[in-house]
Amino acid sequence: MPAVYTVDPRSGVPLYLQLIEQITRAVALGSLAPGEQLPTVKALALDLTINPNTVARVYRELERDGLIETSPGRGSFVRGNGSAGEARRAVADIALEALDRGIRDAKSLGLARGDVEELFARSIARWYPTEENA
Amino acid sequence: MTAAISLHALTKRYRAFTAVDDITLDIEPGSICGLLGPNGAGKTTTFKCLLGFTRPTSGTVAIGGKPISPETFESLGYVPERAILWDSLTVGEHLAAYRRLYRSYDDGRARELLEQFSLDPSKAASKLSKGMRSALALTLAFSIRPQVLILDEPSSGLDPIHQRQVLDLMIDAAANGATVLFSSHNVGQVERAADRVAILNRGRLIVNRTIDELKSGEKIIEAVFADAPPNLNGLADDPRILRIESVGTTLRAVTRGDSDEIAQRIFALRPKSIRTIDLNLEDIFLNAVAGDQRS
Repeated sequence: MPAVYTVDPRSGVPLYLQLIEQITRAVALGSLAPGEQLPTVKALALDLTINPNTVARVYRELERDGLIETSPGRGSFVRGNGSAGEARRAVADIALEALDRGIRDAKSLGLARGDVEELFARSIARWYPTEENA
Repeated sequence: MTAAISLHALTKRYRAFTAVDDITLDIEPGSICGLLGPNGAGKTTTFKCLLGFTRPTSGTVAIGGKPISPETFESLGYVPERAILWDSLTVGEHLAAYRRLYRSYDDGRARELLEQFSLDPSKAASKLSKGMRSALALTLAFSIRPQVLILDEPSSGLDPIHQRQVLDLMIDAAANGATVLFSSHNVGQVERAADRVAILNRGRLIVNRTIDELKSGEKIIEAVFADAPPNLNGLADDPRILRIESVGTTLRAVTRGDSDEIAQRIFALRPKSIRTIDLNLEDIFLNAVAGDQRS
């Protein structure tokens, strides 16, 4: 099942970072299965109407991080072994960044450490209700 | 790697007026470079020099590593500011002329593009609207499967659907190894299609970087203080701060590099609140031009 990506060129976040994040998520969630072929650089660039060098950079960095492998002439594939582990680690990085931003924003609004801890506990309780946690 | 399109110390003067002032720019093969600039910044003059329509006052231009010569045009697709068409020929006759002029002319491709742009082959060029003239010029430029494309506002006058097709044409060409330089007033188009951004202002090249570097690099940190912002403790001397200004109780710093570290330094001044703002290309463009105007 091909994953669907949406990027926002008008954002201040570089397109290659947006795309890396989305493909990483898709691998972690299994919507891109191990062994599955990714679109060619040209096909994905045309599909999203973005620069082909941007897509090529995304594939290079995902390969370097062990999520995908590229064989010349055949194309790029989600790595069979270990890609899910790599992807979970990468997703944890993405999540940490998001949490980091949130906590930084809270500090930026002038909240004290204790206030932020309390808010964090409330947020955890909301998204991980106790029955699910046990 | 030899640059596919190269300008070196390019200068063009018209009497006392310097239209293009010492521009050096190299575009790698397979790259798409978007050229931005206010009206009168020198974009069109730069294109004229690159295409051999006018002789530079000083400096050089090269395409495929060589100065402009008859063979340059064999694999060069271009659309100047005002499309050059034969008004007494029909759209279809333009294609027939290109078949005779260019060895690399690909009729299948040309017909496909006519269809995409909804151009009627039997229509006389003189009867085409401004947008449709651009569309025909683009069809001709891409019909020769060029290795280098130089496009001065290629989508001016086109509707949003055809504008998107122009982006797709450039992306397809670059994916096949062609190199593209295009100018546009539409920052969103550059944001999508380009990997390199060049910004001209008053004839000078004020920005020349990859779009990723630009977007990762610059951020605005805005801090609000209870009273007027305190002594900045040498913050203004931090090389990562491009500009810093305070208006009322608000301090605004344009930063390049690790914005987290700078945020930490500003935190130390005990503001009431602080936020970091990502800049998109339009912000970066407007900041660059405004900054240049002040200098």
